[in-house]
Amino acid sequence: MTASAVTAKRVAYYKGCLASLSAKELDFATQALAPKVGLELVELESVTCCGAGDIHEAEPDYYLHLNARILAYAAAEGVDTLLTVCNVCTLNLRQANYMLVGDSDLRARVNENLVAVGVPAYERDVDVRHLLWEIADGDGYERLKTAAHRGLKGLKIAPFYGCQILRPSKLHGFEDPDRPWSLERIIEACGGEAIDYPAKIKCCGFPIIQAREETALGELIQPIEQAVEAGADAMVTPCPLCHLSLDAWQSKLKKATGRDFALPILHLSQLVGVAAGIAESELKFKRHVVSVKPVLDKIQV
Amino acid sequence: VQVGLKIWRYNSRSGDRELAEYEIDAPEEATLLDCLDIVKDKHDGTLAYRKSCRMMICGSCGMRMDGAAVLACQTRMYDSAQAGHVPVISAMGNLPIVKDLVVDMGPFWEKFNSVKPYLQPGYDEPPDGKEYLIPQERMNAIHKEALCINCGCCVSECNAMESDPLFTGPQALAKAMRFVGDPRDGRKVERLDDLNGEHGIWECTRCYFCNERCPKGVDPRDAIAKLGAESMNEGIDRDMGAKHAKWFVTSAKTTGWLRETELVPKTQGVVSAIKQTRFALDLAVKGKVPPPVPPHVAKDVREARRLWELVRDQGRHGFAGIVQGERALARLAHGHSGEETLEEIYERPDAFHRPYIAGEEPAATPPHTYSEEQAGEGDPGE
Repeated sequence: MTASAVTAKRVAYYKGCLASLSAKELDFATQALAPKVGLELVELESVTCCGAGDIHEAEPDYYLHLNARILAYAAAEGVDTLLTVCNVCTLNLRQANYMLVGDSDLRARVNENLVAVGVPAYERDVDVRHLLWEIADGDGYERLKTAAHRGLKGLKIAPFYGCQILRPSKLHGFEDPDRPWSLERIIEACGGEAIDYPAKIKCCGFPIIQAREETALGELIQPIEQAVEAGADAMVTPCPLCHLSLDAWQSKLKKATGRDFALPILHLSQLVGVAAGIAESELKFKRHVVSVKPVLDKIQV
Repeated sequence: VQVGLKIWRYNSRSGDRELAEYEIDAPEEATLLDCLDIVKDKHDGTLAYRKSCRMMICGSCGMRMDGAAVLACQTRMYDSAQAGHVPVISAMGNLPIVKDLVVDMGPFWEKFNSVKPYLQPGYDEPPDGKEYLIPQERMNAIHKEALCINCGCCVSECNAMESDPLFTGPQALAKAMRFVGDPRDGRKVERLDDLNGEHGIWECTRCYFCNERCPKGVDPRDAIAKLGAESMNEGIDRDMGAKHAKWFVTSAKTTGWLRETELVPKTQGVVSAIKQTRFALDLAVKGKVPPPVPPHVAKDVREARRLWELVRDQGRHGFAGIVQGERALARLAHGHSGEETLEEIYERPDAFHRPYIAGEEPAATPPHTYSEEQAGEGDPGE
């Protein structure tokens, strides 16, 4: 624990499926970064997948209960904030939270079911917040400015928000979904140059990349092509699902179009981590499909 | 108030395109539609746009302002004009432009018609021979979908349709849900079967632009989720999208976390998955294909399993499971938590005028009236 952890904000940390499995680098980077931006992560053990929108669509009542269970275990830690590192987790948990908090009858029924299987009832409200919001504003942002001392040295970074941290805005309410500013602010605080391009608020195609790959690739190419044409050295995203399609499916874009974009894609925690001088071994760039080396060479980590 | 507008003019015959700038004098309460009327009346009679009711119910004046689809008659201009902003006005997306701000709605109506947007009653005559009475709660399930005015704002922004113009799209699918959920309709299963086609519900990419843009609160994405849930409830799960969704349920109740590596064969089938071997190997090298054995099991996962058994027996399957959360989400859309009574909402300092209720004494002064001081602060009031 570093000295800054003394006054750190204690939050329940919900890493979700991808950061537990195929995007482990996101979990490593987030754990390494947290103390530097004043966050004490209380890892939740007895939690499951949020359903990723899929359980909401297949078995919506089960979706609500699984998310209520996650919220209940977060509340049981005595924290006010449930921290997420994934857009899809953020939307699914916030949506379930509003359903429960805004309807006492529904909450009572769900709580009865939770208690029946041995889960604590979800009584005290917690707020679901993405890491992006914690470090783009307020105390987290102040700490970020100090911590990101290594700097990105003018590196051109394309912010890619992804859909489910912006829309539906009535469920998020953090920033204007058409003119978001949080990633740009963080990129600049880290000494990078945020480049602008129209597709930064659009879809990466991931939710249908298995069921409708062609349609998904038609979406995926837009941010990648526009960012490369605008001169981006790398792209950053707050969502591991966007990361997976942007990073891993670039090879399929190459196959389909003959163009090798070779655009390195960073998780938000990694971008800030690089700027804050966290060792490459902790940020796990080797787990990326598109090599991050050109970026690291430029800033000589 | 002085209002500046930049309007994308377009002539489909000549192909000429031009960003024309206009500076007009408009009343403070003017909407974008009022401003376009002023441009057409006083500045340039050749400007083309659609309009009819001027009160957000005919759905004619959908267009884009600064890239986002809006109803022109719903969009007040005072704040942005006061801030010195000159918005860019253009035609809606995903539909061919005929002239200036007028799009060809042909493809829109084709998709609309494809979902058979009319009741196909499941009875010859009402049970009592007089009228078919439906409990309110059954109609609540399709209340939002019934609000659609066919304006096309959702279609304009649909990311999946940009990539595949054949996608049935948010408006037609929301309309389909309006009939799938109607207890009087007798063709629910056939409808769902049709909607599970190549360009049906499983092509939705969940970008949520439709929910964001809809001026009437229809939330087409939620309607699509209701159709998915109802399809699976009826055993229609042949689509890869449905198989994908089902695997998440299986994962949650067996290990708690997504069984990621098995997701591809479970979605696409083993043969397709084998064709992806080369791609999968490239990912595996990077640790992106976590071995399914030993499984990554959440602590206390038996609780998730037992929850599944409980909800399975409580009968809120299909769209009913989504509808149950709509009451709370609607409160959120209207900006209150559910703690306040209607009276308290009307007494808020920033409240709309309380509507006149028959038999009630009208208030001497409305709680919130527009005044000169507020105008000075740049607040147009209501």
